[in-house]
Amino acid sequence: MSSHKTSISSGLPAPKPAKGASSPELEARRRLKVALVEDQPKVRESWMTLINSFSDFVCQCACATGEEAVRVLPQERPDVILMDIFLPRMSGIECTARLKELLPHTQIVILTAMDDQELVFLALEAGADGYLLKRTKPADLRNALLDVLGGGAPMTSQIARRVIESFRQKTKVQDESMHLTAREEQILLLLSQGFPNKTIAEKLDLSVDTVCSHLKHVFSKLHVSSRTEAVVRYMAAKTPPQKRS
Amino acid sequence: MRRWAASCLLPLVAAVLAGLAQGADFGGTNALVGVMPEPYIALTNWMGPWIWTSNTFDGQTCQLWHTFEVPDSSSVTNARLVMTADDEFTLYLDGRELGRGVDWRELFVFDLTPVLTTGKHVLAIRAFNAAIAAGVTFGMRVNLTDGRVIELKSDRTWRIVPDTVKRWQTRTRAAEDWLPATIQAPLNGKPWLPPWPVNVIGMSALEPISLAFWQTGWFQLTLGSVCGLVILFSLRLMAQLALHRKERWLLQQERTRIAREIHDDIGSRMTQLVLQGEVAQCGLEEGSATRQQLGQICEEARRLLATMDEILWAVNPQRDTLRDFAAYVCKYAEEYLKHTQIQCRFDVEEQTSPAVFNLPQRRSLFMAIKETLNNAVKYSEATELQLQIRWLGERLIVVVQDNGKGFDVAAVKPDRHGMTNLKERMSELGGSCVVASRPGQGCRVEFNVPLERPRRGLLGWWSPAK
Repeated sequence: MSSHKTSISSGLPAPKPAKGASSPELEARRRLKVALVEDQPKVRESWMTLINSFSDFVCQCACATGEEAVRVLPQERPDVILMDIFLPRMSGIECTARLKELLPHTQIVILTAMDDQELVFLALEAGADGYLLKRTKPADLRNALLDVLGGGAPMTSQIARRVIESFRQKTKVQDESMHLTAREEQILLLLSQGFPNKTIAEKLDLSVDTVCSHLKHVFSKLHVSSRTEAVVRYMAAKTPPQKRS
Repeated sequence: MRRWAASCLLPLVAAVLAGLAQGADFGGTNALVGVMPEPYIALTNWMGPWIWTSNTFDGQTCQLWHTFEVPDSSSVTNARLVMTADDEFTLYLDGRELGRGVDWRELFVFDLTPVLTTGKHVLAIRAFNAAIAAGVTFGMRVNLTDGRVIELKSDRTWRIVPDTVKRWQTRTRAAEDWLPATIQAPLNGKPWLPPWPVNVIGMSALEPISLAFWQTGWFQLTLGSVCGLVILFSLRLMAQLALHRKERWLLQQERTRIAREIHDDIGSRMTQLVLQGEVAQCGLEEGSATRQQLGQICEEARRLLATMDEILWAVNPQRDTLRDFAAYVCKYAEEYLKHTQIQCRFDVEEQTSPAVFNLPQRRSLFMAIKETLNNAVKYSEATELQLQIRWLGERLIVVVQDNGKGFDVAAVKPDRHGMTNLKERMSELGGSCVVASRPGQGCRVEFNVPLERPRRGLLGWWSPAK
């Protein structure tokens, strides 16, 4: 049921089957809870409808601002949070950083209207576990959510390169555990050269699962070491214009 | 009566005696009183009477002025000037001091031959009277090549210049209030009686004033104007530079504004359209015609948004760096080749570079790379394609290499695969495009583009506040 090709709009590698998604019993019993943080009312309503149209998901909560999300979501405890990057006052990036601290085991997927890789990477550094374009087809949206819940990490060759760069710049971090291991660097390098996970696994004589778990590990390290910086850089860049509320 | 006569007579006698005594006073060392020593007679023949202003008093300065002209048609063979003054004088010719004298009993002779050029000349004498008698006597003789003689003596044609007049030594015309000089006494008259003069002093030889060429007025004027022009020109250049910088800054502002409007206005609203379309599809039966049409509308809207992503990237001034360019090109290539049988490999320069890769260039290069990838997909039948991006100093080098079937570059018409187009586009940027291929050996396209260095340095501070 999961496609083998990465849907680029989500930047995710081949999604793995979500745990328990195939069992109809489970599906009936428990739908995965999705929280939405989006300031534009029309977009918010459309997404709520689309998510609720999936049999295995339910849109539990929809917040209009970052402040509301930080206040409400820790109690709601959703399985996955969809976060718009551009919010009035508290930005989506800052909100991501805060929520990751409050709910470390909840997956956060960043939403953006226009594809801007720089911004996406900032969000990933701040704590996002994936990103999606708002214009994604519903089917791709569902796959992406399942994948992120299944432990997939967002990775394209460009993201891999940026990750390497990001870690290289952090030489002043004393904590050894925050640096990349040799194996992780190897994997990232091969990824940045354009090799898919499967080929990397073959080259390094590992299983695809191991490669994926290494990547997941890389991201959690990235989140820990770059979170505050990412927020600061975002404020400093003021790159993308603030949305009209 | 006798007493009255005696009192009248006594002063008379005293006066006569005093007069005699005065006469005797000027005898000098010469025993012969009343006769001029012979050698000096020739000199004094040229000289005029003693002149001064109408009133005389002690401690008085008198300024005497005269002009004469050496005609153009001839030059001077010999020119001599002799003068003296009671008590002191300074002689100027055309504002230049020729000499001074401090004793009226000595004659001062000047040889003017080297310095008398053709044209008008101004003689100026500043004389000083210490006490009692005052006067200036003067004589000048100029022999010309055509036989004429210019003679000038002290007489009433000399003008008295008032003290307040500035630069009177060089004035060529007399003002109306300059009174003519008054003749005090003839040359051998009282109180300057012979034996006089007692001595003749030849003044030191005069060097003709030759102006070095850089001292002449014309040269200085020309130099001054040239400098002035150069300064004006530099000012103009600086103004142009400042204007240029301002324009660039304004352009950046505009680009930022456009990027913002595309994003805010068009981007987000079109996204809403897409989502509305998807929601509408939800409520319809799977496979129905309306649902299909809605699906097509949504797809078209997505394609439009993808195009706008590209425009946004191109327009956003913050994406002018090389790193952004490399990331964008690689991402595009990855996506484009995703659904084909070609595996894409990347080799990107790791060094960061401060060079700026500006809008027209990066757009053009991107289009060229796009076309090359298109060709690879359409014709190459390759399984692998390598995209190499490197920068070195001021040049950006992008190589697209595939392992496909290749083609004979020489045999193929240049218009095919749009190669001429590519090359033209590259040369417009000041870069180059080289296509190398052999049948069975794949195809290698290399783009070489110049980069702009970010402006710094002396004029950096000139840029308007950002």
